[in-house]
Amino acid sequence: MSDLMAAGMILFHVVIVIVILLIMPIPLTWAERKVAGHIQQRLGPMRVGWHGLLQPIADVVKLIGKEDIIPDQADRLIFKIAPIITLVPPFAVFVAIPFADNLYLSNMNVGLLYVLAVGGLEIYGVIFGGWASNSKYALLGSMRTCAQLISYEIPMGFAVIGVMMLSQSMNLSDIVNAQADTWNIVYQPLGFFVFFTAGLAEAQRIPFDLAEAEGDLGAGYHTEYSGMRFSFFMISEYLVMLTISVLCVILFFGGWHGFLVPLPPLLWFSIKVAFFVYLFMWIRFTFPRYRYDQLMSIGWKVLFPLSLANVLVTGLFMI
Amino acid sequence: MNHVDPAGSEKKAEATVQNTAQKTVQQIAVKQLPVTETEQGWIGWLFFTDLFTALRLTLKYMFSKSVTMQYPDKEKWQPYSRFRGHHFLKKDEKGNTKCVACELCAKICPSKCIEVVPYEDENGNRHPEVFNIDLGRCLYCGLCEDACPVDAIAMGSDYEFAAYNSQDLLVHKEKLLTMPGKTETGGKVIAASLSDDAKTAVASEPEHAYHWWNLIHRKS
Repeated sequence: MSDLMAAGMILFHVVIVIVILLIMPIPLTWAERKVAGHIQQRLGPMRVGWHGLLQPIADVVKLIGKEDIIPDQADRLIFKIAPIITLVPPFAVFVAIPFADNLYLSNMNVGLLYVLAVGGLEIYGVIFGGWASNSKYALLGSMRTCAQLISYEIPMGFAVIGVMMLSQSMNLSDIVNAQADTWNIVYQPLGFFVFFTAGLAEAQRIPFDLAEAEGDLGAGYHTEYSGMRFSFFMISEYLVMLTISVLCVILFFGGWHGFLVPLPPLLWFSIKVAFFVYLFMWIRFTFPRYRYDQLMSIGWKVLFPLSLANVLVTGLFMI
Repeated sequence: MNHVDPAGSEKKAEATVQNTAQKTVQQIAVKQLPVTETEQGWIGWLFFTDLFTALRLTLKYMFSKSVTMQYPDKEKWQPYSRFRGHHFLKKDEKGNTKCVACELCAKICPSKCIEVVPYEDENGNRHPEVFNIDLGRCLYCGLCEDACPVDAIAMGSDYEFAAYNSQDLLVHKEKLLTMPGKTETGGKVIAASLSDDAKTAVASEPEHAYHWWNLIHRKS
């Protein structure tokens, strides 16, 4: 009976996290459009609700009402499951994330590895979507994404090693607790730089959004999608952005540990994550998109050696 | 020697001209300075100062005031007094039309969109019986305004007269007499609201009037 209760509690917590994550893209799209507007001296959405707050709701209603188009030559089964495969990994990542002290779904001792591995699964949905659409733009977009994600996963993994060495653990809670006095950013500025840049590429955001470069590829791998299937890709994109922000906070910015102002741990955590999400949007509306060869050379010729050097220097200092 | 020299110097001159031309081409082609000679220098290059400059600039824009005019339901543009909008006919102190139906405006109109039919009252004064303007053909040059000897017709501040039907663009004397005149304090964004009765934006008092172009953020 107590086992059943425990299982029920876990299920309850999982449902809460899933619901929160499903709701998150709504304020995020609103915030993104507002940031875009104000950076360009516009106002952004203003008409639906107070300062356009209900605009994402209206968008969701519109997307649900849209016709679900499947191209004639598409591989129907893969075309249908691709958005789901893209959507699941960002949710699965949050299983291992500690939001505050003793506030997590699962305290895995290989949490970091799990997060990186499951986060990398998202690429399958992108490739499936691009391949099954049977469209040149979608295929090109997904091929680019494939190469990009594989290239940037490596420096990302190496950048994390420095953090792992400092905290002597792959458990995310332990990593945060090891930062109680000084945050990892003090010891690992280079690691953070590499991680964040690779994270930008992982989330397929400008300046690395070649996967859906609307100028040259229509909309990239989701060119042929419409309605809710398209919105699955969008939700996944926002959740990956959130995941990268959360990982930045946990690995480099002391998780729920505050400084100067004593606030509830969860609030501190949210503030830091919100800052990183804002940083993503800020960067998006500041920089142009890199060319494909530039993207590859940044990944392999700059970030990869830097991340290796970071591991080496961290190791030397620890000895 | 004397015979050869001028030709040789000419050739030399040509060669130097060609050389300078090639040099300028080369100078234009090589635009990229080495990192050490740029504004940011080596240290700046190493720490990506150019990227941070860009981020600082967009942050400034982010917290500068927006230039959006929320037309037509919240704000609208009140044009300058020299603006040439919808025509209007002026009245004298007694409330009669100033127009003496001389038809000069109809004569000077380059698109022939004004139609005036005069009539004479018992005192022998001329008045317009019909005064039609086809706004669909008018090109808003303002020549009618200049031609008028009694300052009766002018172009006012109203610019919201889009119509679904070109017949609706043919306006008559009665409407021309009621159209708003020129603005005294124009060139502003003013508060506006959509009234369902008039189906057009109705301007209220210019409390929130401002010059929107002053808000455009320029890098000094």
